Amino acid sequence: MSLQETPFSGNGHLAIEAKDMNVYYGDFRAVKAISFPIVSNQITALIGPSGCGKSTVLRAFNRMNDLVPTSWMEGSVLFHGYNIYSEDVDPVEIRRRIGMVFQKPNPFPKSIYENVAWGARINGYKGEVDELVEESLHQAALWDEVKDKLNESGYSLSGGQQQRLCIARTLAVKPEIVLMDEPTSALDPVSTLRIEELIQELKKNYTIIIVTHNMQQAGRASDYTAFFNMDQDRAGYLVEYDNTDELFTNPKNELTEQYITGRFG
Amino acid sequence: MNKQPKPGFKPGEEPLNYQPPEAHFGYASGPEVQTQISRRQRRGRIMYLALASATIVAILALTALLYTIVNTSFGLVAIEYENEPDKLVLDLQKEVLLGDEETVSSEDDNELVAGIIDDPYAVGFFGYSYYQNNRDNLRIVSIDNVEANAGTVESGEYSLARPLFIYSTQEIMAENPAVNAFINYFLTHVNEEIDDVGYFSLSQERLGEAQDLWKSANELDVPGWAVVEPDGIGGDMQMAGSSTVNPLTQRMLEGFSAGGYTGTATNESIGSGAGFRRFCVEAETDISNASRAIKPGEFAACRSNQRLPLEFQVGSDAIAVTVSAQNDFLTNVTTEELRQIFTTADNWSDVNPQWPDEKIKRWIPGADSGTLDFFEETVFPVELQDLEKPLLVGILADHISTGLGRRLESEQRFFEDELVYFTAEEWADMCSRVEPAAGCTLPARTQENVLLLVEERVVEPKYVAVWPLVDSIFRRSEIEEEVFITYPNAELKFHSWINPRFLSSPQSSSPELAGVRTALLGSLWVILITIVFSFPIGVGAAIYLEEYATDTPINRIIQTNINNLAGVPSIIYGMLGLAVFVRVFEPITSGALLGYADPTTANGRTIVSAGLTLGLLILPIIIISGQEAIRAVPNSMRQAGMALGATKWQTIWHHVLPSALPGILTGTILAVSRALGETAPLVVVGASTFITVDPNSPFSKFTTLPAQIYQWTSRPQAEFQNLAASAIIVLLVLLLTLNATAIFLRNRFARRAQ
Repeated sequence: MSLQETPFSGNGHLAIEAKDMNVYYGDFRAVKAISFPIVSNQITALIGPSGCGKSTVLRAFNRMNDLVPTSWMEGSVLFHGYNIYSEDVDPVEIRRRIGMVFQKPNPFPKSIYENVAWGARINGYKGEVDELVEESLHQAALWDEVKDKLNESGYSLSGGQQQRLCIARTLAVKPEIVLMDEPTSALDPVSTLRIEELIQELKKNYTIIIVTHNMQQAGRASDYTAFFNMDQDRAGYLVEYDNTDELFTNPKNELTEQYITGRFG
Repeated sequence: MNKQPKPGFKPGEEPLNYQPPEAHFGYASGPEVQTQISRRQRRGRIMYLALASATIVAILALTALLYTIVNTSFGLVAIEYENEPDKLVLDLQKEVLLGDEETVSSEDDNELVAGIIDDPYAVGFFGYSYYQNNRDNLRIVSIDNVEANAGTVESGEYSLARPLFIYSTQEIMAENPAVNAFINYFLTHVNEEIDDVGYFSLSQERLGEAQDLWKSANELDVPGWAVVEPDGIGGDMQMAGSSTVNPLTQRMLEGFSAGGYTGTATNESIGSGAGFRRFCVEAETDISNASRAIKPGEFAACRSNQRLPLEFQVGSDAIAVTVSAQNDFLTNVTTEELRQIFTTADNWSDVNPQWPDEKIKRWIPGADSGTLDFFEETVFPVELQDLEKPLLVGILADHISTGLGRRLESEQRFFEDELVYFTAEEWADMCSRVEPAAGCTLPARTQENVLLLVEERVVEPKYVAVWPLVDSIFRRSEIEEEVFITYPNAELKFHSWINPRFLSSPQSSSPELAGVRTALLGSLWVILITIVFSFPIGVGAAIYLEEYATDTPINRIIQTNINNLAGVPSIIYGMLGLAVFVRVFEPITSGALLGYADPTTANGRTIVSAGLTLGLLILPIIIISGQEAIRAVPNSMRQAGMALGATKWQTIWHHVLPSALPGILTGTILAVSRALGETAPLVVVGASTFITVDPNSPFSKFTTLPAQIYQWTSRPQAEFQNLAASAIIVLLVLLLTLNATAIFLRNRFARRAQ
């Protein structure tokens, strides 16, 4: 079975799974022996202290680490049972099906419309682009605010709007999984709340993996939480992975408890 | 003092009970704060002064450069003509007027008078005296509603009139009693004789002014006029000047001699200008006759020759435009109507529909008469460039050989519907040849084109002296004097060295005709090739090095080499271009391989070689600035693109390059500006040749603006320095235009990228 033929994953299924994953930057092992599954149509939060490798893990899910020239990895990431790191897989395809939203809003220096439409164009979208743009902006809860100024620059929007534009842009290429790397860390509390509400909406159609520094956010917005820490070599490892309610109310690992109660981190 | 607002402090209130802390945690405290801060601020002020000085020095240097260029690009020139344009026009007009079959010309004014008297449709002009002698049968016509009489002539209201003068100086009058007495006699008796000679007498008032001048020159302070009797006065006198005043002076001299003058006097008729030269420069004459006032340059020449001219007006000359007493329609004409009556009109009704539909019969003085010249100059003040094409062709035909005329016509015909030098058969024959002449297909020459030919072949101006702008403004009178003394036949004109003709003329060995057209086109061609070659390659290399190349030792060596190449002297690139493009790739760069040139005479010293050489020269600059610009594009842009499933190239093409383009263009602007101003490598590659043929393909031989400037500045004649300065202005304008275009493009991209 090739990756292209895999069916769209249904509700409650396995969306993607890391298996014994080690990521290196040159000689430095950034994360070691990570194995955990991500459930589809659920929100999975990755938390942990600074430098514990949670962003690296996130980026490993759509091969964004490839962009760092010195990075390399061991192990596998299974997407529909297929290792996305096999040699016959083109990361370009992976990245369309597993989208990503970044820490700082980074819209293209183009019009709002172009920001959303560009991904569709370059991926050879066959449908009506206008409709796709509208649909994506609706999904990102941005349509009502920008419908009259689609030709204005994406930079004319506020920070929160820009981030939702980036989400709309990601949704426009119809990914199955959306990776979010601290998507609200550069935003004010009101914008943060809107994004969180949006993420809840999105989980109906998408599997979401979110890296966050904000414990409350992880607690209130996610269904599953993975807690990472780093060992004495500064390599990140998975400490505990569980249902969010379980992990926050009844952590099995002492480190987890210390972390969520704010005693270290 | 170190004052900080405390809680409860309101603006405008002094904080109460504020005590500066004793110790500032390792920082200065107390009075030390003040000295420490002022020391830091002083350092800042010194730096500010240094920076401001640097800016001022830069501005001064640029101003000095601009000053030099502008000072040399404009200024006075003294021009000597093979044929003076004014005289050409005058001769042509006289020829046209005299050639008309309804015009009768006679040296004998009585004949003119007789001709007009009996013909109600005749019109003519002659000296006013002849009208006066025949005023019963003739009627004088007012011009622009001004009637000729003593008052209007003297005040200058009547346009066909001019004052008559004699000039001398106080010193001459003091040293030579004969001169003094003669002027006294002149001013005493001129009004008795002048009507008879044919001129207007002065009013008592005006004559009184001249007499007062004589008295003050003699330092006499008596009421009334002091008459000096000629009886017993001896000593010789030299007089020369205007042919118009000459008869009057002669008449007065006769009376002076009859009154008892014993000396010898000469009175030559040589023209007003020549008279002043004799009087001021050569200082040979004692009295100068003139039918116009002395010009500033002549006055200055006189003054530096210790001769301060005194001007005595002795009368006025006026032309009477007259008709027969039987004429009942013509009482007043405007100057414009007068012009038509004596040129284009055939019938009176052509000029004014209310006038009878009868032929105009013209009676005018002969071609050699000063009256005709004066009439032409006053009524038809036409410049050469205002003449219509047929008249210009006429002037040209009068002055060039038939052979040259045939050549010019075969190059480009003068008229669409008429041949000047060829018969229709010859022309048809010439055009049916295998290689027909250029004139067979080209449209007829324009008026401007013929004007250029006339200037080049007939007028043949020669700049005998040139002055820079500042001198031209502040030393104008000295220059006028110098020209008057040194270049008697020259005309002094303010000349802009940069003018449409300079832009449109090819290179020439005479500065009067030389232009920058070939160099300008050459520069445009070369820079086009340069941009087309270096921009894509440079940007491509920059993209590769920034986006694709990994950090290997080989790539590091390449990078270092590119950085070093940007500092290699441009002459080295010239030698490289000569060795590679001109020699090795000769079959390609000469165009022989592509069929553009004859393989046997092919030569690689072409535009394409020059363009490629300059392209190599600026390649490192474009690469380095391109790399800088690409590096400045935030990585988040690349990640955003890639995360959407774009390929690397899609991300680069759609996001990285557009964002980097303003920076790339800035670097390219600088690089291209440098290429445009390069001389040395082009001279090596072969731009130094003197060419007058426009470059028309990349395989043409060429010269460029900097090479042209270099060539001109190395020539000894002063005029070429002016040409070089003007060419520099052209180069600057070209540079500014190219840069403005690039900046416009850059700003468009920069706006789009926001």
